[in-house]
Amino acid sequence: MERKKSIIGNPTRSTSSTTSTIKGLQLFIADLRSCQQTQEQEKRIQTELVKIKQHFNSSSTKNTSHSHGSHHDKLGGYQRKKYIAKLAYVYITSNTTKLNDILFGLDQTVQLLSSTAFSEKFIGYMTLELLYEHRQVVEKVNEKVTYYLLQDLSESDDNFVALALHFVGTVALLPFNQFATNDEIISAIFQILRSPTSSHYLKKKSALSFLTLLKANPVILTDDMQRKQLWIQRIVSLLDDTSNYRLCLAALPLVEYIAKNIDSTYCIRLVPQLTEILYNCVVVGTSSSSSVANQFPMEYKFANIPNPWLITKTVSLLSFLIISQNETTNKQLQSHSGPNTLLYASNLNPEVLSKLRQCVTVAIELGMRTCNDPMEKIVQNTVLFSLINFASKLDPTDDAIKSSVNALCSLLSSPDINTRYLTLDSLLKLCSLSGEVAINSVRYNKNLGLIFNILKHERDSSIVRKCIDLLYTFTDSENVKLIVEELLNFVLHSRNLNDPHMKSDIAVKIAVLTEKYAMDSNWFVIISLKILSLTNNNAPFNDDGIWQRLCQIVVNNSHLHKLTCDQLVDYLYKNECSESIIKTSAFLLGEYCGKVQDKISIANLFNLFTDKYSMVSNVTKAMILTTMIKLYNFAPEIGSWVIKFFQLELNSLDIELQTRSYEYLKIIQISKMSESNGNANNNNNLINVLFSPMPPFITKSNPLLKRLGGNLQPSSSPSSSSHKASAGSTTLVESTTPMTTPGVTQRPPPPPASRTNSMVPKSQEEYYVEQTSTLSPNWREGFNRMISHKQGILFTSPLIKIIYRITAVKTEERIDYSRLRVELSYINETEWDITGLSSEIFPFKVQDNPEYIIQNVALPTPTKISMGHGERSRQSFEIVIRKPFDVDNCGPLLMVHFKCGGNGFNHVKLKLGVGITHTLIGNQDTGSMRHVIELPEFIQRWKMLSTALGKDGEFIFDSVPFKKDATVDMEEARMTIRQILKRLGFDIVEQNSVKNTIFVSGIIHTKSDGNFGCLMKVKYQDDGKINLTCKTTLGGPLAEYIVRCTKSAISR
Amino acid sequence: MAIQFILCFNKQGVVRLLRWYDMCACNGNGSGGSSSNNNDELLPQDLIAQIYRLISARDHKHQSNFVEFSERTKLVYRRYAGLYFVMGIDLQDEEPIYLSHIHLVVEVLDAFFGNVCELDIVFNFYKTYMVLDEVFLGGEIQEVSKDMLLEKLGTLDRLA
Repeated sequence: MERKKSIIGNPTRSTSSTTSTIKGLQLFIADLRSCQQTQEQEKRIQTELVKIKQHFNSSSTKNTSHSHGSHHDKLGGYQRKKYIAKLAYVYITSNTTKLNDILFGLDQTVQLLSSTAFSEKFIGYMTLELLYEHRQVVEKVNEKVTYYLLQDLSESDDNFVALALHFVGTVALLPFNQFATNDEIISAIFQILRSPTSSHYLKKKSALSFLTLLKANPVILTDDMQRKQLWIQRIVSLLDDTSNYRLCLAALPLVEYIAKNIDSTYCIRLVPQLTEILYNCVVVGTSSSSSVANQFPMEYKFANIPNPWLITKTVSLLSFLIISQNETTNKQLQSHSGPNTLLYASNLNPEVLSKLRQCVTVAIELGMRTCNDPMEKIVQNTVLFSLINFASKLDPTDDAIKSSVNALCSLLSSPDINTRYLTLDSLLKLCSLSGEVAINSVRYNKNLGLIFNILKHERDSSIVRKCIDLLYTFTDSENVKLIVEELLNFVLHSRNLNDPHMKSDIAVKIAVLTEKYAMDSNWFVIISLKILSLTNNNAPFNDDGIWQRLCQIVVNNSHLHKLTCDQLVDYLYKNECSESIIKTSAFLLGEYCGKVQDKISIANLFNLFTDKYSMVSNVTKAMILTTMIKLYNFAPEIGSWVIKFFQLELNSLDIELQTRSYEYLKIIQISKMSESNGNANNNNNLINVLFSPMPPFITKSNPLLKRLGGNLQPSSSPSSSSHKASAGSTTLVESTTPMTTPGVTQRPPPPPASRTNSMVPKSQEEYYVEQTSTLSPNWREGFNRMISHKQGILFTSPLIKIIYRITAVKTEERIDYSRLRVELSYINETEWDITGLSSEIFPFKVQDNPEYIIQNVALPTPTKISMGHGERSRQSFEIVIRKPFDVDNCGPLLMVHFKCGGNGFNHVKLKLGVGITHTLIGNQDTGSMRHVIELPEFIQRWKMLSTALGKDGEFIFDSVPFKKDATVDMEEARMTIRQILKRLGFDIVEQNSVKNTIFVSGIIHTKSDGNFGCLMKVKYQDDGKINLTCKTTLGGPLAEYIVRCTKSAISR
Repeated sequence: MAIQFILCFNKQGVVRLLRWYDMCACNGNGSGGSSSNNNDELLPQDLIAQIYRLISARDHKHQSNFVEFSERTKLVYRRYAGLYFVMGIDLQDEEPIYLSHIHLVVEVLDAFFGNVCELDIVFNFYKTYMVLDEVFLGGEIQEVSKDMLLEKLGTLDRLA
């Protein structure tokens, strides 16, 4: 026999031979192993198969009756078992390819199931378990197997029942067999599960077999309501004895499956029990005091850690049953069972919550403990990661999140590769669940450097992938340059990056990030070109999206034309340049060849393209042909070369190239003819029309254009479609009478939630719109007040009064006008106590380049304690205005929930009038340079805007009713309007020459799009109506937004 | 939520143990229904060959014990001497606990056979299946107490 080599490397243990063996099988295996060549081996197998076949045949002819007893069995149970075991061995070691060679033994295998000897029955079931994945096997023997299975399930010998349960648990999920729809089998197994007389040994097995049946056919529990209720209650009660770890372990996956896929209502009650189990394992089981720790049974410790399996399974079920604030909207929209059947962390019993949080803390301590045994370390980390991932469900405080992050980050430099992988994985989950707090504490604590370091040195591609995903989540406009450059470096220089898919994946990610967060358009162009030039090593990579997007942006932003074209010429001069670069060049240099004349002559540019022509695909060739005629159109003096080139291409094998060349030749010919006809004015008329400069792209879907300060919106008159749309939906909102009135309980309490901008469903906007249809009555009054006043009353009802204050956020260096702090105070107006006050602030959008971001939300204080009469609770949050938006349609929503005087829950739902005009600041306020605009300067600027933008960036609103509709004293009106405009932040041009008009100016601040100037004429008429005309330095709807806000303020 | 399959092969790629709990790994589209004659369905032996190629090519010092395998499956594996123990699990499962699964089985095998080696598994492959069935059922772990397992396995082994 061969030398015995331990696989676990533990030579101290003595070798004890096992008790029962099958000699013939051992000999056969030894024979096969001694064969040197596969041919020899094959021969040995075939002779053995022939021998076995003969034995089977002779036994079946002489023993046709399949009687039960083995007394009449000529072959004998032992022989049969031996032969079948040999067949099974052949099947396994042939990597299942020898199925057809061994199928002849199928009947004899089934015969083994009828044996009364355990070892024979076992070999029968084992072999069938191997073969049951094949259709031909199932079709042939399923009927008989079912018969024996039912027999064994009702056996009195536990070991026989166990074999049958194993069989069902192993094969029920495989295709072809129908066990999961066989009521007899289902009932038999459930009977074992529920019977008080079944042993624990069988109960746990039946729970898992039943789970397999359920997975294969969930209808078992859903088509009969009565059965569903009874059975689920039975199953759930398996967890009632929390100290029976054996049964709990097996019941947990079954309960979790039911909670997730059938009905979670029955499982909610388990939360305290599950907490108990978890607490006993994590906290009691690891206690440093041995007397406490000894309460945990030693046999359930693994690698010195109390039952890690029970811990992970309990956590898994708890994570499902408990729903965190961040997920709320997600689940409300997506979950089938609805959020009411799950438990909000805020509704947890405080004792339970504190025990769970304690478990997290202990797990973190445990994870930090040093130990030398690698297995112990793995298990420690298993518990750590499992609980850290769970922690975000427990409404963690910022400090708790930070301590999780710190625990994880300290593992980033672990020498163990699995730990690094899992740490990154866990960080990713944490950041997506806990949002900004987690992200920021990873970013700002030098951890970014650690992650870059892993990126540089790691050789495992799955770790690198996690790293990249993590960096991707972290990127924002502040660190985009740093991260993009690291990623670019990695793609360019890493020796560990061999996977072309990953390379293209990173390139796309870089493109998305630069597009999403670039603040500096030049940088954006340079990086984009670098990405495009990257791809020349792996041709299959589909990056058309990247170059096309770049072209769109460049076309729409005239200040990028020259820079991009210059860069492209440099790229073209290099010998190797990627096809994407050539495509981009063909398009952009064709359009803007005039811009690079200081760098390269048109003739040389033409030559450059002729050089590249031979190296590129036909699609690109076709593009270059178009470029050439554009070059000709710009500089007709290169005509003879262009014509020659097209003539040559008339012979192209490609039909598209041939056609294009032919058509372009014709166009040149026509234009020359009209020239020689002396038609000087119409010179090149056709060609000019055909190749007139590219108009800006009108793609609303491209978020980048706006960001780069280009003009994205279709420029048209003020009554453009967007205007109509917004006006239309405003009336819609107003006409839908809100149904919620304060003081009336309408639905179960939604959870209090401070929203962060992560993990938000795609349909956030739909959800937003849905919410606006149920705003509290009179919301509009507070909304309008908020637009015109920096502080005041937002809402009053007999129960509660809400007042607000809006200020710009002061950072250390300066005031950031695009960042607004909103402070809200809730005042109890009743004689009773208000309890459980919570609020939720809900932005219009949180993804896809949102117009504004809500952050640093502080919950109302005090949160849980009650508020007596006249007492206040305060809350604050910040809004970062990233770009212009329509506050009427997209303003943030505030939802307030509270309990008052045992009345159940009350809701107030309001739209907040905080938006673009709050960032409006007059000229003189912005800095030390005090600049007062006089009327002539105003007029001059007005004209300049008219020349530059035309009607774009202008908005007129006539006949705004002034608030006092009675006869208006003109002078009084003037003073009031002046005051309103001043309060809005405008600078007023002091003048006396135009009587009934006020001229104002101001600057709108946004975080992403930058600052924009704004001029407005306010003309008041005798009839008390006011005409507003506004111009902004940004085209598009900004002027409209300003006018609408002003209108709200004036006509309030 | 569970183990899809357990696979054990040696360095040469010869399969020593194989247990399917869910054949969805074989389904390219992952539907896993009972009616299936899809073209994108993989034969089990092709799947095993793919897994072997993937895992045997990995560097054990510099690569982790986890690897994504398909749209629905990731692999957790460990090498003990010349034997690889591989588990296919669902993508959303947390991987690390499965390393404990594998280690537990190997420890039980070690105690059951007494200093287990590949040959024990070769010659007593059916007993190895018996061990597997006592530790796992339906793709879930059912017993983690080694004392309990060894006592039971000893009894079963002595039964005729």
